[in-house]
Amino acid sequence: MIRRLLDAVTGRLSPRTVQNLRSEFDTSPLTKVGVGILVVVLVTAVFAPLLAPWNPEAQNLDRSQQPPLGFTRAENQTTQETVDGEVQLIQETVQVNATVAHPLGTDGLGRDMLSRVVYGARTSLVVGVLGTLLAMLVGVPVGLVAGYYKGRVDDALMRVADVSLAFPSLVLAIALVGLFGQAAVEVPDPLVTTGLAAAIRGVTSLPGGLAYPTGMPATFTLPGTVILVVGIVNWVWFARVARGEALGVRDEEYVKAARSLGGPDRFIIRRHVFPNSITPVLVLATIQIAAIVLLESALSFLGFSGTTLSWGFDIAQGRQYQTTSWWIAAMPGLAIVLTVIGINLVGDWLRDALDPGIEGEGGGV
Amino acid sequence: MGSFGRFLLKRSLQGVVVILGVISVLFVLRYVTPGSPVDFIAPLDASDATRRRIAESLGLNQPLYVQYGDYIVSLLQGEMGYSYRSRTAVAPRVFAKLPATLELAVAATVVAVILSIPLGVISATRRHTGPDYAATVFSFLGISTPNFWLGVMLVILFAVQFGAFPTSGRPVGLLDALGHLVVIAGPERGWALPLNVGSFVAAMQNWLLHVTLPAITLGTYFTALITRLTRSGMLDELGRGYVQAARAKGLPTTLVRYRHALRNTLIPVITVVGLQLGTLIGGAVITEAVFDWPGLGSLIIDAINNRDWPLIQGSLVVIGAGFVVVNVVVDALYVRLNPRVLE
Repeated sequence: MIRRLLDAVTGRLSPRTVQNLRSEFDTSPLTKVGVGILVVVLVTAVFAPLLAPWNPEAQNLDRSQQPPLGFTRAENQTTQETVDGEVQLIQETVQVNATVAHPLGTDGLGRDMLSRVVYGARTSLVVGVLGTLLAMLVGVPVGLVAGYYKGRVDDALMRVADVSLAFPSLVLAIALVGLFGQAAVEVPDPLVTTGLAAAIRGVTSLPGGLAYPTGMPATFTLPGTVILVVGIVNWVWFARVARGEALGVRDEEYVKAARSLGGPDRFIIRRHVFPNSITPVLVLATIQIAAIVLLESALSFLGFSGTTLSWGFDIAQGRQYQTTSWWIAAMPGLAIVLTVIGINLVGDWLRDALDPGIEGEGGGV
Repeated sequence: MGSFGRFLLKRSLQGVVVILGVISVLFVLRYVTPGSPVDFIAPLDASDATRRRIAESLGLNQPLYVQYGDYIVSLLQGEMGYSYRSRTAVAPRVFAKLPATLELAVAATVVAVILSIPLGVISATRRHTGPDYAATVFSFLGISTPNFWLGVMLVILFAVQFGAFPTSGRPVGLLDALGHLVVIAGPERGWALPLNVGSFVAAMQNWLLHVTLPAITLGTYFTALITRLTRSGMLDELGRGYVQAARAKGLPTTLVRYRHALRNTLIPVITVVGLQLGTLIGGAVITEAVFDWPGLGSLIIDAINNRDWPLIQGSLVVIGAGFVVVNVVVDALYVRLNPRVLE
């Protein structure tokens, strides 16, 4: 199934590239694992309203801090009892057991962890992909122009890049988000507003005979400032890679030919330099998605994100329950690790198959 | 001037330009962010005259280029203005927080270097064996794990469950701990050196207990990264002609590995580590948040939450300039170790 999906996606690439990608995919089991993880995360993110067992925001204080399947939690309870007309306080330790309805447990407000992890995938991937696209949109043209013109233009643009690199990306990101505010946009969720989610959920039931709750969030919070900021913070990596490629391509015969035929620079950059620089940019983009997913989770952890449905935000919540309920922080963190591993494995695959000659790894938050 | 001297001069000048850029970017940033500093300082019911006086006292009524010039001049004098909140001078506050962040960064680097280079070497010299696979899996996990989550998990496991380490804080600084050795032997107390080894050991122990979990939290990514780099670099070097030649001469394997191959492996490793120092500082910010470590990171987060611009600006200038300086040093070191790049 995955194989067929890949074939559809890779249909537009050159036959040699496709062949490299395929043989690398067929021979490397780790690549299959990576692509598998990524497909699962993508499907989870897109179909969150269908897959999440509960509304991720629905609180239920009677079921707070329920442990995940296979674990129990000891809780000290104090109850009042009237014995012979006197009120007595009885202290006892009760075991809170896991339930099938909440396989990953619940958080401090009784919200289902699995549902929150499922919805968190949306935030992470949306920020990761849009942030990377923005960084590409800013960085690639700058890099191509710098590399194509060389000389002073290049020197000036690369000094700007150096300045940008002098700030650690996380520090710059919190400074920018902190100063510009945490604007977020509520985007309607088509799966919910069309009634599709309710219809599908209406005919299915949860394990244990429970009815599938149908009221899922009608909107999805898009953390606008965060997307802008992670894009701005990471443009410089794309500029550097695109510049390096353009420096190599500008002296190729076909570029010289185009120039001697009187082709305007804009045309040459767009028609010749850009397409021939794109492979390493794509590999970098994969790595950057991982880096931005980590950056977003760090921003949410520190409370600079503007959304409350995010893996990083839940880890921060979990810290408050670190003495009683480890799973509140553990589950979203495992989701991050799994996602980043998936992206990094796919990045390794593209790098090995396309051999763009760049080093690096998504990570470092 | 030798070619190394010329390189150093050129690279230093570039560094100065970049630092100037850092300073300028921060100056501009202050003007594009919403809200005037007067709003943060003036009381809500302040009259226009009061607000004007505050603006004047901050120099905000001057043309931009004058403000920019004043700002540069005061920075050169080591001044960074006054905090909007506490009205205290920014520079001493920033520099007072610097040791905590630096010792965390150094501890993390020490952890990373001590673990990663042997791991990378073992991994490369025993390719496709159990230890190699273990090191590879470890480094892949280390690169993919967000350090703040690792920190929270370490606290839950080792501080809360096992009680082996404190959950947070830094009651003693490294310099204070070392101070127990120095202060005792001063002119006032006589030079007889009644070395208070007991209190020194106690303070060091206290510091080590508190720094261990944060250092592991911050160091894991670097351990993983350097392990990967050392492994792949070592594999490259071991396949080269000079290694075979040295072996053919009859030199012992360990000598060839560590004296020849490892040395050449470390050259690119140093560059990457230098380039990643920014990430290390970024990581320190969030590690400090997890462990309530009172360093620059905690200072910046507080400053941002209070919208205390001079404090944000001062911290960022120090971090940016520090990063540039370290990079110049790393470049110089790289050229020193590998003079071929000058040609």
